Amino acid sequence: MSRYEKLLHMLMDYEPTVLLTAISDTQGNILWNTIRDDSEIKIPLDEIKKTLVRESSDWINRCKIEDSDDLGRAMYHIASFEKVKQVTIPLDAFHMLLIYVDNTPLKKTKTKSYGRYVQMGKIMSIVDFVNTFEE
Amino acid sequence: MEKYEQLLNMVMDFNESVRFAAVSDANGNLLWNSQREGISNIVPIEKTKATMSRSRGEWDDYATSAEHIGNGLYSITSYAKIKRITIPLSDGNMLFISVNNKPMKNAKNKSYGHLVEMGNILSIVEFVDSQNF
Repeated sequence: MSRYEKLLHMLMDYEPTVLLTAISDTQGNILWNTIRDDSEIKIPLDEIKKTLVRESSDWINRCKIEDSDDLGRAMYHIASFEKVKQVTIPLDAFHMLLIYVDNTPLKKTKTKSYGRYVQMGKIMSIVDFVNTFEE
Repeated sequence: MEKYEQLLNMVMDFNESVRFAAVSDANGNLLWNSQREGISNIVPIEKTKATMSRSRGEWDDYATSAEHIGNGLYSITSYAKIKRITIPLSDGNMLFISVNNKPMKNAKNKSYGHLVEMGNILSIVEFVDSQNF
């Protein structure tokens, strides 16, 4: 098992709210991926492929900005939607990690929107986990 | 005062870590912006405009996937020095906010400091949401 394949399996074990993980090259081609089978949220493979192409291109732009605008290293991108949070992290110059995390509102919160804004601690712990990942 | 001008002022007042806030139209063109006094731009305004235009395009792309992932709520892009937040507004405009991303003094290591303070950011997002813009 490759190093990055191992990372994807570790992420799935690390956090039950992770629905899907994938690693792409800079063109957005899927190199490895894992999907949680029992999840109620299903995202078609074509949709994932489309997302990876789009996000890879966006990360190329972000890295150009990092170089030209003196903002420091580009670290991660989180896009939050009603059903999922989409997290992307550049792993090295050639690989990008995509993670979909369940964004279902928490049952005990007073308002629906609040549920979508929380659980960020879990996501940050995933980002930290990835940043500290060593084989 | 125009409502988005008011929103920008409220965002600046709401949280001191906000360095810059702006609203763009549906094409990514800058409509209003607000810069915190005493803080100099890291990025020239022309480059920020280009970033806002690209971010608007990203939200348009995301909208094509709404059937599977739901409507967009907000995005956060973290660089070592700043975090950039975008929030699509109900009328097709977009709010863009830049906040400090300096490591916290008491954090054990540098990377941890860059990852925290997310509560501040989410409170900004909730604040904007609660204003029904």
